[in-house]
Amino acid sequence: MMNSQSFDRLVKALLDGDQSGAVAEAANLRNAGVDNEQIIIGGIETAMGKLDAKCTVEQFNLLEIMLAGRAVMGVIKALYPDGPPAATRETVALASLEGDVHDLGKNIVKTVLLAKGYRVVDCGKDCPLETLIDKAEREGAGIICISGLITSVMPLVRQVVPMLQARGLTNMKVLAGGAALKQASADTLNVDYVADSVFDGVRYIETSTGQAPERDQ
Amino acid sequence: MNSLQRIQAAVRFEQTDRVPVIPQVFGHAAVFAGKALGEYVRDGETLAHCQLKAVAHYGYDAVFALMDAGVETEAVGSHLKYHDNIYPYVDRYVIADIGDLDSLSVPDPNRSGRMPELLKAARILRRELGDEVMIVGCVLGPMTLAMQLMGPEKALFLAVDEPDLFGRVLDFASDVSITFGLAQIEAGVHAPFVFDPSASPAVVPPQFFREFLLSRLKRLFSALKSGGSLANWLHIAGPAETIFPYYPEAGVEIANFDYCVDPLRARQLLPEICLDGNIKPLSFVEATPGDISAGCAG
Repeated sequence: MMNSQSFDRLVKALLDGDQSGAVAEAANLRNAGVDNEQIIIGGIETAMGKLDAKCTVEQFNLLEIMLAGRAVMGVIKALYPDGPPAATRETVALASLEGDVHDLGKNIVKTVLLAKGYRVVDCGKDCPLETLIDKAEREGAGIICISGLITSVMPLVRQVVPMLQARGLTNMKVLAGGAALKQASADTLNVDYVADSVFDGVRYIETSTGQAPERDQ
Repeated sequence: MNSLQRIQAAVRFEQTDRVPVIPQVFGHAAVFAGKALGEYVRDGETLAHCQLKAVAHYGYDAVFALMDAGVETEAVGSHLKYHDNIYPYVDRYVIADIGDLDSLSVPDPNRSGRMPELLKAARILRRELGDEVMIVGCVLGPMTLAMQLMGPEKALFLAVDEPDLFGRVLDFASDVSITFGLAQIEAGVHAPFVFDPSASPAVVPPQFFREFLLSRLKRLFSALKSGGSLANWLHIAGPAETIFPYYPEAGVEIANFDYCVDPLRARQLLPEICLDGNIKPLSFVEATPGDISAGCAG
């Protein structure tokens, strides 16, 4: 029976962004008889929760999150060499909209969502609205996330909900974030929520989908 | 007191007849003049004439010989994608593999990419405005240019995995910016604006700034000052309070700060540096002129 202390070293390596250290700790756990699912729940989920808590109380930076995200993906790859397990949570469509070519923030959201077991449909940067909505509909997304670094995409963001409604996709939530979009309110952008940070956005996704933080079975 | 004198006086903390006004009018000048942004960022003459038209209309204190964040990396060898109505962006980074670094050379601003067009814009603006209005150029800071040379994710991971090698990328980026900045001064700009949003504490922690970026910014500003820049002007976006204490050592004389930084806090942290900021960018889209005036006064 594993207790939480068994995962401390893995959690620390993940939070330090130490990919090789994290992969080694995961291997040690495997050798001790811990199965992949326990490693994900006790190690990866715990580390993401701690990173979330840290980013809430301290100023966070993208580098730290990227390094932790890379370490998480390294562990998942080591645990599942033939490919990651099927996502167990909601499908999320991500994009930076047409005219916005910045995708660093979007990519970080993607990494965190993947690490938390979400299925992510990445529609890329400079993405036309029609393309985003087509893909979201085709892939059965429950949520659309739009990352925006420039204010000029705001008129496009405002069109998303009406376009979804026109297709009858009234249950699909729309979340906005990023340096430009987070200056505006949800009402102004005509979206369901405006996230102040990646973890704020992920919390909204967890809440709005009614999916508990633990990985569903 | 003309616009240039007003800004110079403000930088020296001397009496001014009013607070200098320097809105960051870049691509808006093209829209205002009815020109496509894609033409504005590729043609120095168009850029200069749009800037002249905008300053004649608005009456602010500085114009910008500034295209976009892709000028330097394109001149080094990256490939950009252009559109009519948005700024160009890199679709193929010149450093695809870190081994490529050894084959790169600092571009000649008079012959490489769009640099000659930007210098042309600077010459026209100086010829038309003389020393009445401040002519501001622009170079990327080392962190932002490093990301533009190799892509942001690759650059950040390299910084952690192979810091010495990343330091070489930063040194190369600094050389590019120094060479380009000096050429801008020679062409007529009064001061190149150093644009380094990726050095923000929102992207990298303050320790990273201290270890990797401070010395490179110091070298860049020292070179620009020696070349005749009237003021060392730095823009770093986001919550930059934690790196403000390094600004004096870097040689910063004008600190541009973002809307999320409290101006009083900025003044406490930088009592001897001229501050410019910090109207929320969204306000220029959504707020009224009255709101913006009130924000400035407040």
